[in-house]
This record gives sequence, C-alpha cells and structure tokens, in this order.
Amino acid sequence: MTKNSMNTQSIVGRRASLLAIIAITLLSLGIPLGAQGLSIPEAEKILIELDELGNFPGKDYSALYTIVSEKPGEKQSVSQVRVFRRDERKQFTILVMLPEVNKGQGYLREDDNVWFYDPTSRKFSHSSVKENLQNSEAKNSDFTASSLKDDYSIQSIAEGKLGQYPVWILELKAKNNEVPYELLKLHIRKDRTMLLKEEAFSVNGRLMRTTLYPKYVSLENKLLPSQILIVDEINKGEKSQISMAEQTVEKLPDKVFTKAFLEQVNR
Amino acid sequence: MKYIIPRIALRNLSRQKKRSFLLGGAIAFGIMIVTLINGFAGAFIENVSENFAYLMAGHVFVQGAEKTPSGKRLSVIRDDSIIFSAVRDSGLSYEFATKTSEVSASLFFEGKTIRQNLTGLDLATNLFLRERVVLRQGSWDAIGPDSIILSEKIASRLNVLPGDRITASFQTLTGQNNIADFTLAAISVDSSIIGSVMSYVDLAYINEAIGLKSGEYMALGFMLNDLKAAEAFASRLYTSMAGMGIQLFDRSANEEGSAATPFQAMIRTQRSEDWQGSRYSVYTIDDIVSQAKQIVVALDGASLIILLVLFAIVMIGINNTFRMVMYERIKEIGTMRAVGVQRKEIRSLFLNEALFLALGGAVAGLVLALIAMSILSLIDFGMNTPAFMIMKNGHLSFFVPPLRAVFNVVIIAALTLLAAYFPAKAAAKMEPAVALRTAK
Repeated sequence: MTKNSMNTQSIVGRRASLLAIIAITLLSLGIPLGAQGLSIPEAEKILIELDELGNFPGKDYSALYTIVSEKPGEKQSVSQVRVFRRDERKQFTILVMLPEVNKGQGYLREDDNVWFYDPTSRKFSHSSVKENLQNSEAKNSDFTASSLKDDYSIQSIAEGKLGQYPVWILELKAKNNEVPYELLKLHIRKDRTMLLKEEAFSVNGRLMRTTLYPKYVSLENKLLPSQILIVDEINKGEKSQISMAEQTVEKLPDKVFTKAFLEQVNR
Repeated sequence: MKYIIPRIALRNLSRQKKRSFLLGGAIAFGIMIVTLINGFAGAFIENVSENFAYLMAGHVFVQGAEKTPSGKRLSVIRDDSIIFSAVRDSGLSYEFATKTSEVSASLFFEGKTIRQNLTGLDLATNLFLRERVVLRQGSWDAIGPDSIILSEKIASRLNVLPGDRITASFQTLTGQNNIADFTLAAISVDSSIIGSVMSYVDLAYINEAIGLKSGEYMALGFMLNDLKAAEAFASRLYTSMAGMGIQLFDRSANEEGSAATPFQAMIRTQRSEDWQGSRYSVYTIDDIVSQAKQIVVALDGASLIILLVLFAIVMIGINNTFRMVMYERIKEIGTMRAVGVQRKEIRSLFLNEALFLALGGAVAGLVLALIAMSILSLIDFGMNTPAFMIMKNGHLSFFVPPLRAVFNVVIIAALTLLAAYFPAKAAAKMEPAVALRTAK
C-alpha cells in the first residue's frame, strides 16, 4: 500500500466521521434529514393533524359508504354500508345495506373486539379490524379512527409531486403489531394537511395496497375524504372505490353500538 | 318326550312353508336393515378419526399458546425439548412426530386468486407426507426451500404448472399482512375434499414469513401405531408435562351440556383466560371429532327405533297368523288335549313355533346383512367424494359390535314370543270336547 493511498483513505475516513457527527447533531436539533424544511417533530405534527382530521372526539360520526369493487374476470360488485362511529370509546357499527343477499349483516367493534353478525344464522362470530369488509379491498380498519401518531414512527421524509400538488412523502414504520401494515408511505399535500395517497407495505417491504384520496368534503371545519380508491398491488386489476355520503357528526343513540341493535334491525 | 314339543313345532313350521317363509322373511328384513345401520355406525367413528389423523398427520397433538399484553393469542411452540423430554420420561412410544405451522393465505397467479390453508412441514424429511401424498406432476427431488405442493384441483383453478411462481398473501403470527413467493414444485392427486384444500410448504420458509424464529412452530403431532392408544398416550403425556411444572390447559374443559367438542372448549378457555409465558394444550384426534360420537349415538338410537317400528308391524302379523293357526288346528289341539297333552305343553308348542320363526328369521337377517355389507364395501367411491371422511380408503366399511347383534336377536325373540303368547294362551285354554266338536 502506497503512502498516497493511505492518505486518501484517512481523508475519506475523517470526512465520513465529520458527516456522521453533523447528521447526528441535525437530528438531535430536529432539523430535517431528507427534505428541505420539514423536521421529524414537524412531520409528527402533520401525523397528529391527519389523525385529528379523521377523528371526532366527543362526537359521533355516521355516513353511508358505497363500495364499488372490481376484480379481474368478475363482474363489478356494489356494496353499501352505513358506518356509525364513536371514537372516544373505540366503537363502531357497520351495517350492510347492499347487496340484497348480504343485507342485515353487520360488524360491531368495542375496544379491540370486533364481531360479525350474520342475520341468517342469527349468530355473532369473532372478526378483526384487519379483515376485509365484504368482498372489497377495504378493511374494517379503514372505518376506524385514525391513530397514525400512536401506531407509527417516522422513518424518512422526502418531497415530491403528486399530479399538480407538491407533497411531503413520509415513510412510517409500525411501533406495535396491532396495525395491519408494517410500513406506510404517505403523500401529504404541502399547502394544507390533506392525505392524497397512502401506500401500504408488507412486513418484508413489498407494496400491497395503494389508497388514493381524490375528493374531500368539509365537515365541522374538518376536511374529510368523500371518495377513496383502493388498489390491490398484489392482484393486479383488483380495486375498490369508496364514496361517502350523508356524513354527519350528530349524536347517535347508545344502542347503536350494541349487539341488540344489529339483531333488532333485522327483525 | 323332552324334545317332542320342539320337534312338533318345527314340523308345524315346515307344513306351512310359504307362510313361515313370509313371516321369517319379514323378521329377516328388519334384522338386516338394523344390522346394516349398526354396522355403519360401528365403523363410523374409527373411519372419521383415522381420516382426520391422516389429514392432520397425528393422533395426539401438543399446541403451544402465548398471550400478548394486548390480549392477542399466539399459537407457538418456542422450545419443544420439554415436550420430548416429557415423552421420554413417561416411556411413551410413537411412530413419528410432525412439526407443523399453518396459515390461511390467498394465492395469486396471473390474475387468479384462491384461498388456501398452507401447512408448513419439513418437506425434505417428512416421510409420512411422501408416503401419503401421491404426485401427479413434478417430483420430490424438485423440493426447495420456497417450494409449494398444490392439489390438482387448486393447481387447475390457478392454472399453474410445476416451476411457476405463485404469490401468497397472509397474516403473520401477530396479524400483520405479509407476502411470500413460492415455486410450484409438484401437483398432488386430490386425496379428498378436505385434502384438496390443503397445500404443503416448507416449515422453515413459512415460519420466517409469519414471524417465527428458527426451531419454532405451531403444533406437534404424534402418529401412533394404533388410534386406540391415543387417549392413553395423551393422558400420560399430560400427566408427565404437568409433573414437570409446565403450564397446561385443562383437558376436561368441556362445559356441562355444551355442544362444543373438548377441543372447541379448550380454544374458548384460551380466549377467556389470561396467563404469562408458554402454556400448552394436549389433545387427541378424538377430542376434535368427538361430535362424530353424537352422530353414532343418534344412528344407534335411530336403528333401535326402526327395529321397534318394524317389529310392531311384524308383531301384528305374527299375532294374526297365530290366531289363524289356532283356528286351523282347533281339532288337532282337541285331539292332543284328549290324548293327555297338558295345557302348558300346547302353549309351549305355539311359543316354540314363534321362537324358531324369530331365530330363523334373525339368523337369515344377519347373514343377509353380512352379504350386503360385503357387496357394499366392494364398491369404490373414490377418494374425492364428499363422504370421504366416513369411508375407509374410498370404500364403505362396517363393524357390528357382537353384543349389539345379540341384543337385536334377543329383542326380536322377545317381541315375537310376546306376539304369539296370547294366541298360544287361548289355544292352551281350549277344552278338548269343545275343540273337537268345533266345525272349521
């Protein structure tokens, strides 16, 4: 080994150490690592805002969701469900209105328990927020309150453009195993906190699902998606479009969040 | 003199061959039907258990369970050395042990999707699988770490051939979504309706994909030499494991009056109870299929009802026939009484005739049932039939418990004697002079 090459190596080594010290200092000061102008604490603030946009603490939420599903080689199917949510108690009730053959089926969540009600057998069975709703790409968890800040930690921040909108691209990693996806990549509008696209990845890092939020409505000074497009990235051609209507935050009777309610609506 | 009455009874039966044949035939038919039902019920539970044991690769199973702080139940055996040490300590022997992990997955191939249970086994060394699973395409030599073996039906629905790459989507042990790619190594012959929904993958590969570490798996199955030894094996293993201080689920967790099997009751307990660390459940194939025993009880009950209904009809026939016989032989009875034959001998003559009729019919019925069973068991229904689980290698099989057959014969004899008793009594009561002057 020549003296010159040894010098080059030591210079490279010193530079690498210097860069590492700078990176650690920047991180500890909360200065952005991957993108200009957005620090980790600021990105976390965005996550909190996103959670707040989708949640209604102290209030109830209900809406009519129409889900149009497409699968390769199959006819388009249309499902309609009425969703009732009481976020402060981690409760939801989903009542299937369409198709006619599944009418009266329902899902009830209380805390971490989810039950599925079948009016034909008049029995409840255990389900999960990770299960798909009816035959669509939507999961039960898509109808629950958002808890991105609690469930995920930010791995990286980048900038990009989605259509005409400049976006922040946040890569999130699950903090616990209570969530269906280990990794998420969120595309959030820079000018106002609006989630435009969410990519969900498997435990081993493969893209499983892309969710697009093309339309929003305003409710109680909050922006709520009124249309969602979910694309299955494993089975190409499989997708679901969810349209929300009749969204309201009016108080719901307590009985809506009981098993008796699901039984009663079927009488 | 001792055997004179039975001999006259036999002679009387042979005098009226057609009538005796019809009455005996009715009894034989009833016995045949009931014996066939008993025979089917007798083999039912053993067939169901053996077929399940074959599908699950074991007669006795040990399953590990852990509960996370959030209440999630994880099915996992992290360290099996304590189980094998309990087996050794209790001196138990088995043919082989199979370590398995199972996951419900969606398989994708070029736009086609199908839901399947992926059973993870050590594909390279599992001889049981190699003996039982017949390959239609591909070979055991092509087995690699990411191999999958699908049944013909599933392969055809996915339109895949050996060498094709299939994507599987499933949830990890803790419920996160994950994906793995598999190479189709072989296509197996559809062994049964249930067998065709099972796909085999390599244990190490699937374990890694569902978040289990090397050496961990979900269930341990012991295949024994004899299915009947399963309960004793499980009891001794349970005692031995309990003696070692291992946390176990109660084997008798079945609730009183509940329709659940002991296995279902155990799963319910696991949902409701809290514990720390690993806790194990020990169960047999019988615990899983114990609801099948209720079917056997129902079949036996139904056969008894059929026996009684058929014989209520036959009894009316016998009663009428013997009344007719009494009037036909009224002068003969008068003569016998006039030459010194006693009343009880006349009665026993009639009862002997009824008894011979019942025994003859019953023996003929049993023989007919055996012939019918032999013929039915020759029919090959194939392995891919919905009734596969209740058959033995695609054939109907029968086992009539000997005591059950004896019980049926005794019931028939008793009912026939009861039917003939009143005409016999009336014949015995007849005055010789009255009988002799009665015109037919």
